Amino acid sequence: MSTLVRATRAQPVHLVVLALIAIVFFVGITSSDRFATPLNIANVQDQMVALAIVALAQTIVILSGGIDLSFAGLLSFLAVVFAALAGDTAGTLLIAMAIVIALGIGIGAFNGAITAYIGVHPLITTLGTSTILAGCALLITRQPSGSVPLFFEDFTYGRLGILPYGMIAVIVLYLFVGFMLWRTTFGTRIYAIGDNEAAAAMSGLPVQRTKVAIYALSGLLCAVAAMYMTGRFGVGDPRAGVGFDLRSITPVIVGGTLLAGGKGGVLGTALAVILLALLANVLNFMNVSSFYQWIAEGLIIIAAVSFFAGRKGKS
Amino acid sequence: MAPPFLAARGLSKSFGPNEVLKGIEFEVHAGRNVALCGENGAGKSTLIKLLTGLYSPTAGQVEFEGEKAGWSDPRQSLAAGIAVVHQEFSVLGALSIAENIYLGAEPRTRLGLIDRKALARNAQALLDDLGITLPPNDLVETLSVADKQMVEIAKALRAEAKVLILDEPTAVLSQNETRHLFRIINDLRERGMGLVYVSHRLDEIFEICTDITVIKDGVVTSKGPTEEYTHDSVIAAMVGRELGDLFPPKASDPLAGEQVLQVRDLVVAPGLPPASFSVHAGEILGLAGLVGSGRTELALALFGAAPATGDVTLDGEPMPFRDPVGCIDAGMLMLTESRKDDGLFMNSSVARNFAATTPGYGVHHSAIPPGHEERRAAVLKERRGVVVDHVGLPISALSGGNQQKVLVARLLENRPKLLILDEPTRGVDVGAKAEIYKTLRMLADEGMALLVISSELIEIVGLCDRVFVMRDGALAKELTGEEITEEAIITVAAAETSTHHGVAA
Repeated sequence: MSTLVRATRAQPVHLVVLALIAIVFFVGITSSDRFATPLNIANVQDQMVALAIVALAQTIVILSGGIDLSFAGLLSFLAVVFAALAGDTAGTLLIAMAIVIALGIGIGAFNGAITAYIGVHPLITTLGTSTILAGCALLITRQPSGSVPLFFEDFTYGRLGILPYGMIAVIVLYLFVGFMLWRTTFGTRIYAIGDNEAAAAMSGLPVQRTKVAIYALSGLLCAVAAMYMTGRFGVGDPRAGVGFDLRSITPVIVGGTLLAGGKGGVLGTALAVILLALLANVLNFMNVSSFYQWIAEGLIIIAAVSFFAGRKGKS
Repeated sequence: MAPPFLAARGLSKSFGPNEVLKGIEFEVHAGRNVALCGENGAGKSTLIKLLTGLYSPTAGQVEFEGEKAGWSDPRQSLAAGIAVVHQEFSVLGALSIAENIYLGAEPRTRLGLIDRKALARNAQALLDDLGITLPPNDLVETLSVADKQMVEIAKALRAEAKVLILDEPTAVLSQNETRHLFRIINDLRERGMGLVYVSHRLDEIFEICTDITVIKDGVVTSKGPTEEYTHDSVIAAMVGRELGDLFPPKASDPLAGEQVLQVRDLVVAPGLPPASFSVHAGEILGLAGLVGSGRTELALALFGAAPATGDVTLDGEPMPFRDPVGCIDAGMLMLTESRKDDGLFMNSSVARNFAATTPGYGVHHSAIPPGHEERRAAVLKERRGVVVDHVGLPISALSGGNQQKVLVARLLENRPKLLILDEPTRGVDVGAKAEIYKTLRMLADEGMALLVISSELIEIVGLCDRVFVMRDGALAKELTGEEITEEAIITVAAAETSTHHGVAA
């Protein structure tokens, strides 16, 4: 086993997802001339940025044996707050960014603290937080409102060659988190807690503090995603996050991370995000109704999990 | 003489009115390996939990290097230098061997990142030092049980433990693995570590322990250097007591009834010798043996809950051992080992627990007739002597003894021909034990066949008409009548495996 394979926690499922990506790509090329154009490839990437970031947050939480369902409310709330404060200068933008990031970290830490110190199941804690924040977002504004400076909006649409800036940010974040999981004690603790929380505690690890940090990091990544989405819309949408709670879980599971925690990594999530975005894009080109896209996505989830169940039985 | 690394001084522990340990004096010096002997329930695990701070004592104290140790958490004792290798290991499968060994103490680079190279190198050095050939970057989940144990020991060594407590370390090991473990244990002792070795296997104790401490019924009955002991004197200190009137009289002629259960060439796992035996109506047959000797596996196979091959007939009808439902329908019922894990529905009421598997309910998914549970539950009080204020109470509110009575009563509602009981009195007080024994004997007298699995020798000796002693998955010896003594069972159960392999009873 090479160091790289171990570092990325590569698994057979990754090859399967890669193969599926290749198949979808091939179908795309044969179904439309416009598929393999720089414009469309950039377009696909734009489609996946927000999901990639929240799926990264979800990967960390699920690896630790938890789950974070707060994204729907959290993204909406942070988007509205960001658009309300961002104004039209660099100064107001920076202040808004600082506030949104602090809110993301704070709300995440709150999720972690309730889960770790009071012992509420994270499913309940984060569902509660999400509901509260969804209400808050709609109290602030019923309609999409606020704005971001024009140069920030332009930035979220800018690209370097065929790489949108948003995608560059995603790559940097994935490398950063991947490195963190590989080379920091925090990363090791995430795997240890997800694998066997009692054993981690008996080994002297600060389980509760680590959990707070995990959910805080999840909130931080969510804040980044919220700012990006607001930049793309040019306005704060109080329903910006709807659906992202469950959608964030799909790539994590398809990418081979165990829902029970302790096993998996960011590589699988990255590949799965690419697969899902490409699939949606190709089905669009083929004029397939988005309802069929849902069906396809659902089938992929079940197939991915069955793949694991089957392998478990054999070993 | 230097103070002992670890000592118990007048250590006592009570759970409610139940005094589990009384004035224990126990010490572990540097370079000594102290065997902690005693039957199941004697108080060994309670003592270990007190020594490591998981429990706090009712009286007396734990001393570490001559000073009072006020540990309130196993993490504190671990930091001080007390490591325990439990039977259930606390290694993490998703992490590598090196990561497990250095968990919480990873070598860091100047930037504060984990130094992967140093991690692998240090772990390799530790493993080499122990004479263990394992690649430090392999994931622990890919290791055998024996290797996982080695990782635990390496972890203790990394933590610079002064005292290493090993709880039944060889129960899960093969002969060769045991030899390897012994070399490591002796090596650690010669380096000045203090060890506590908990085991039932007397041969092992005499081979590697320098001292022996025997606990019986929560009291230290004997202790001293190993040279002062023989097998017989240890056994005498462990078991010497009166059976009293805990047990009802046995059957006069246990083999008089017809054979209810006939087992021929039952193979529970590949490589194990086939088992053949029968259980007669009116007798209580005991299955004795050490933990891990295969008793529970055999029972689960009979009950259709584990895969096996062979011929099993109940009242002349062949049993397909496919699933427990078929066995229940055929009249074979089983009381499982852990009532909390796979016996009771802890969040449900007494009534619902009792009614859960009675005929026409639960097993066959029919609707519950109104008042059914209450009527059924009334039976509990009248016929089975369960002390409960109200059958609507959650079962968790009952004492262990009453919970067990509810379970037994539930099984009896199915009018079994054969009743298998795995550890029927675990976690039950003496009074309830006597009642359960009385009930079991009464059932046998009424013509039921009973198969009892127990780790408590006194229970096997006092209750059973006939006993099979199991060792390494095989029925090693059959004992009947006067032959059934604690000494005879221990001698067979704890004998060196190779010499008796394959001896059929």
